[in-house]
This record gives sequence, structure tokens and C-alpha cells, in this order.
Amino acid sequence: MDLNFTEAEREFRLQIRHWVAENLPREISRKVHESLHLTRDDMQRWARLLGSKGWLGWGWPKEFGGPGWNAVERHLFEEECALAGAPRVIPFGPVMVAPVIMAFGTPEQHKRFLPGIASGDVWWSQGYSEPGAGSDLASLKTRAERRGDYYIVNGQKTWTTLAQYGDWIFCLVRTGIDVKAQAGISFLLIDLKSPGITVRPIVMLDGETEVNEVFFDNVEVPADQLIGEENKGWTYAKYLLAHERTNIADVNRAKRELERLKRIARAEGLYEEPRFRDQIALLEVDVVALEMMVLRVLSAERAGKKALDVAALLKIRGSEIQQRYSELMMLAAGPYALPFVREAMEAGWQGEHVGAAHCAPLAATYFNLRKTTIYGGSNEVQRNIVAQTVLGS
Amino acid sequence: MNFDFSDEQEQLRDALRRWVDKSYTFERRRAIVKGGGFDTTAWEELAGLGLTGLMVPTAHGGLGFGPVDAMVVMEELGRGLVLEPFAAVALVATQLLAEARTPVAATWLQRLAEGSTRVVLAQQERGTRYELAHVRTRAESSSDSSSGGQWVLSGHKSLVPAGAHAGAFVVPARVRGEPDDPDGIGLFLVEAGSPGVATRPYALQDSSAAADLSLARAAAIELLPPGEAFSALETAVDTGLAALCAEAVGVMDQLMAVTVEYMNTRKQFGATLASFQALRHRVADMKMQLELGRSMSYYATLRLGDAPAQRRRAVSQAKVQLGQSMRFVGQQAIQLHGGIGVTDEYIASHYFKRLTCIELSFGDTLHHLGEVAGRMQDTAGVFA
Repeated sequence: MDLNFTEAEREFRLQIRHWVAENLPREISRKVHESLHLTRDDMQRWARLLGSKGWLGWGWPKEFGGPGWNAVERHLFEEECALAGAPRVIPFGPVMVAPVIMAFGTPEQHKRFLPGIASGDVWWSQGYSEPGAGSDLASLKTRAERRGDYYIVNGQKTWTTLAQYGDWIFCLVRTGIDVKAQAGISFLLIDLKSPGITVRPIVMLDGETEVNEVFFDNVEVPADQLIGEENKGWTYAKYLLAHERTNIADVNRAKRELERLKRIARAEGLYEEPRFRDQIALLEVDVVALEMMVLRVLSAERAGKKALDVAALLKIRGSEIQQRYSELMMLAAGPYALPFVREAMEAGWQGEHVGAAHCAPLAATYFNLRKTTIYGGSNEVQRNIVAQTVLGS
Repeated sequence: MNFDFSDEQEQLRDALRRWVDKSYTFERRRAIVKGGGFDTTAWEELAGLGLTGLMVPTAHGGLGFGPVDAMVVMEELGRGLVLEPFAAVALVATQLLAEARTPVAATWLQRLAEGSTRVVLAQQERGTRYELAHVRTRAESSSDSSSGGQWVLSGHKSLVPAGAHAGAFVVPARVRGEPDDPDGIGLFLVEAGSPGVATRPYALQDSSAAADLSLARAAAIELLPPGEAFSALETAVDTGLAALCAEAVGVMDQLMAVTVEYMNTRKQFGATLASFQALRHRVADMKMQLELGRSMSYYATLRLGDAPAQRRRAVSQAKVQLGQSMRFVGQQAIQLHGGIGVTDEYIASHYFKRLTCIELSFGDTLHHLGEVAGRMQDTAGVFA
């Protein structure tokens, strides 16, 4: 047992740190560090910068143009990006659909789709949830009927993150009926500019439009955009879920935000106040414990051992911690978290803040992060998974 | 960075687990409890496995093993609910004796490795809660050479682990300064049975043996002088804390296992308890606390070799996590068992009581939360 990274890993980390410091635009990292509004251009600019270095697909193997990093190196890369204030890479392309295309797509599909994902030029969205299919995803109803060389898609997806910016969407659609729910699902890649698609943003509790409804009305999708075999889509979706194990905890971001919480508490005169400081200390223990759990998984993965069966635990704990730090930041601001002045959450706003500038986005972030225990399989669904593992039934 | 155990460590774990399963059964434990909570034969069996000399330097007849080996041992002793004070003797007191330069310490280390006797730290005093620096027991240099030592100690210590079964005590005593001045504390060795030394034995809540120790001008040998003693004491207590964290992981592992087994067999409303979602989610939450606890137990042990400030912070962070984990896993395991969980007859209550005792040893959760809050850095995380 050894807690320290190897010499080579420390060197690797420094190389990443150096590159990020050189290339991450200051105006973008400032927004991230201060929870100010990020535009589509901010997000895509960072994605393209990573793409130009060959790092947007940082988890990709070399044969598909990725860096071929192991689990620890991927973690170090993610950590350096997060601590430097890089925006989160929108995962739907490089992290989610790309591994599925690599594993189950044809060589033609590799050539057609992977370069645009690797460069950051093509923005992907995820079409999974539906109004009647949330936690029970397999009950989805969006239909795809084969007609010659096309599928005709009808139905509705929802909670589609940033689909208003999207170029393409990967969807789970129903191709087989009268079979067990999971058996009739296919994995389809769809151009969001296809006739018959309507994207309607949903205004969320923080006033933002981070997610959308996507309607499909007799949308023609060429049959060569089906991944793998018809009716095998559920298997591919599960593969995708198994692919991301540790990133889901978002522990690097939690570390960055915990440091920010301390700065805010200090600025608000609360850092020396025992009641508040104890709450920060408790969160600090939570973050260290989560990080240790992540490191344990990474160590097992790098050694090629069967990874610890804790992905569901990481999701639960990571999301709870995100909610907790945002809650404490809001509490630190106290009454000055109350004003809802949207412009105050834009970088470079010249208006007069009601309280300290750092207070302006705190409540909105708190509201926004309620999603974390709901998405990606609600924490209650995750507890079902943990219980199944522990109880063996 | 890796969290793999070496083959030797796995073998150590297997050997100890076999001993616990075969020799330290719940029935035998019950008999030991009836006999006062300490069994000399069991101690000799541990010595036979080489464990009493685990951390004793090889020069003094021990194995000279390290903190990770100790962690493995503590996890397994936790699984077995072993009553004998392994951590107190073979980790905490051994470490303090190994720090001392007097030849007397070497002699005692040899005896510890053989397993022929025990030395324990007698540190707790009334009214001091968890403050190590708060020591009222006085040490005076002796003018009477016939007393056999250069010092005489007077004072009162509580909660000395298996105090009536120790051959000697490591005693922090005040040489000078105010009652809470760490730099006025020396560390002394006092032999059991010598004039002015009295023990009053009693049981703890987990049925283990403890004792009060009264010192009335008792002869003592200095192990470490003021200036060196307190930092050595802190280091040894941190070793003890990491050991308690590891033991807690072992206890919780086993308590989880019996709870899962119970839930898969006990039926109510025509279905096993394991089929009720309200209970299943509780189990998931227990698993969470167990794995967070295990992670922090590793963290504490792997930071034991660090500089004092980092070491103390890490150990306190671990004790805060383990404190929360132990209380949750312990309380919920009892709850999930229902009535049988609150009986003496069934083993679950004994795991629960041990977890509770661990929380109240060497600083409880609130005490260590205060330590964490006081030692917070601007940075955050494992490598802060």
C-alpha cells in the first residue's frame, strides 16, 4: 500500500498542469471559478482547444486517436482541468457515445462520427429520458419503424441537456414491440437538423434553460445510423453506463468548490465562527473520504483487477457532496443570496451588486445542483443497485 | 499510489482469520467475559502467531513490521471481537518503549515479543476528557535510591486497558509546569506490584477488562524526558487511533455480514426482510458508511509516517468519518435485526457495543471534528 503517486505520474500531472495553464483562456476559468454564466462558445472553445491537442477524447485508446491513458492518468488529467477552472467537458460526445461507436459501430461509422467528436466540432446530445420513462428508462416509447433504408422516428425525449446547442443526438428508441421491455430497444444516431425535429427549452428552477424537450414527428433517419444490431440497444446503453466509473463522483470539482467555500466563508466573516466552521470541517472529511474511495477504485482498475463494486456509491456520495457545498455557500452569503439579478451572473456586468459580487450566483447554483441526485439514475435507483450487490438478491 | 496488500499481508490476514474462526469463537469469548474479560491463554496464542512482537524491532526479538501490517491485524481482531488489548500493548505501548533509549525498555520489549507479559499506556485522568496534555500525575526525582528507580510518581489514572493483567505501565506524568503544559510532561515506566502501585479492575461496556491505577510515590524509570515525551505520546496515540479505525472496519464488516444473513432468512408478512425496499435502502446506506470508513481507515494508516501536523489532521479526519460510520452501521444493524438485536444472547449487540466503545476512545467524533476544524488548510482533499 502506498498513498503517493509514482514519479512518472507526478511528472505526467505537471505536464497536464503546464498545458492547461498555457491554454485555458482566463476569461473562461474566471467564470468557472465564480459560477458565472458559461456560453455555448465558452464550452465549445475549450472543447476545441482540447480537441486540437488530442485530449478531448482523453479516455480513448490510441487506435482511435486517443492518448491511451490508464485510469490513474485519466483521473490526473480530469483533476488538473477541474482545479484550473476548466469548464466540464460536455460528456455526451467524447465520453458517452464515442465508446459505444468504437465498441459496436462499423468501420464506416467510426470514420464518419469519431473525428467530429474528437475535434470538438460536433456537439452531441443524449436522448434517453422521456416524459413516461425516467428512472424506469426501459419503458421508453419513442418509436422507430424500419421503412426501406430509413427508420421513421416518432415520439418525445425530455431533460435533454443543452440540446438547443446540439448538432447530433444519440437516442434509445423502440423498434420491437410485444417483447420484454429491454429487448425491443435500439441505439440510433440522429442529426438534430433533420426535418420533423423540434427542440423546446425547459425553464428550470434557477431560471436557466439547461435542458430541453425534443419532439420527433415522422423523422427520417438513414438506417446506417443504427448502432450495432436492431433491438440490442439496451446492451449498448448498459455498456456506456459501465464505462464511466469514477468520473461520476466529480470529486475534483468538489475539491475546487470546497476551497471556494472556504474563501467565501472567510469573506463573509464566518470562517472563524465555530458553528459554521464545523460544517465546513465535516464537508472536508466527506470530500477526503470520497477521494480515497475514488483512488481505491483507480488503483484497482490500473492493476487490471475487477474494480470495486462501488460506482453506485460514488454517484450517491458525489452528488450529495455537490449539493452540500452549494448549500453551505448559499448559507454563507445569508440574506445576500436572496436577490435574483440575472445580469449579475454574467461576466463583465458593470451594474451595481446588491451584496458582494460572489453572492450573486450562489442560490442559483444551489437550486441547479438539486438535479445531481436525480439524473444519471436517481440516488434511490442507485441504492437499489447497492442493496442488490450487498444482499445478493 | 496503490491499495493492494502484499502476499505476506494476505497470509497474515488468513492466519489470523483462521485463528479467530477456529479458536476465538463467540462461545469462548463468552467464557472469557465471565472470567473478567481477559484470557492469558488467548494472549499466548496471539504471541504464538508472532503478533505480540509485530511492531517490536527485530533487534529486540520482534518482527519489526509496519503500520499496514498492524491495520490488517486490527481488522481481523475486530471481526473476531477479540477482547485482549492487542492495540494497547503491541502497538501503542510498544511504540513508546521503542522510542525510549533506556536498557530497561529493551528488556520489556523482549518480554512483549515473547508474549510473557503486557505493558500498557496509562494516560487517562479524570476531568481531562480527551486532552492528552492535561496531566496532573506528578513525577519527582527520587532521593531514595532504595526505591529502585530514579523517580517517584503520584497520581491516579483511569481506564487502563486490562490494567490488572499488565506487568508494567507507561505513565505520562508532570515533571513541571501547569496542568495542561505539554512540555512539562515526561514518560515513565512503572512496574505492577511494586510498592505504591494499586489497580482496581472493572469491565467496560464491551466486556473488555480495564482498571484504575493509583500511584502513591511509586518508583518509576524515565522513558522519555519533557520535551520529547509529549510528541512521542501524540505519535503513539495516533497509532492507536489508526488501529481503532481499522478494528472498527473489521467489526462493521462482520456486523454487516450477520445483518445481511439475518435479512435473507428472517420472514415477516410472508417475505424475507431483504425484500422490503425501506430496509434495502438502509442496507445501502450502511454499505456507504462502511466503505467511507474503510477508505478513511486506509488514509489514517498511510499517513502515520507523515510529519506531525499532516499526520494528526489525517487521523482526526479518519476518526470523524469512522465515528459517524460506526454509529450509523451499529445503530441500523440493531434496528434491522429487531428484538433479537437488543438481546445479550445474539452477537449483533456485542459488535454494537464494541463500536460504541471505539467511538469514545482516544477522542470521540466531536472532539476530532474540532481538531479537523482547527487544522483546516485553504486547500482540500487527500493531498491538501
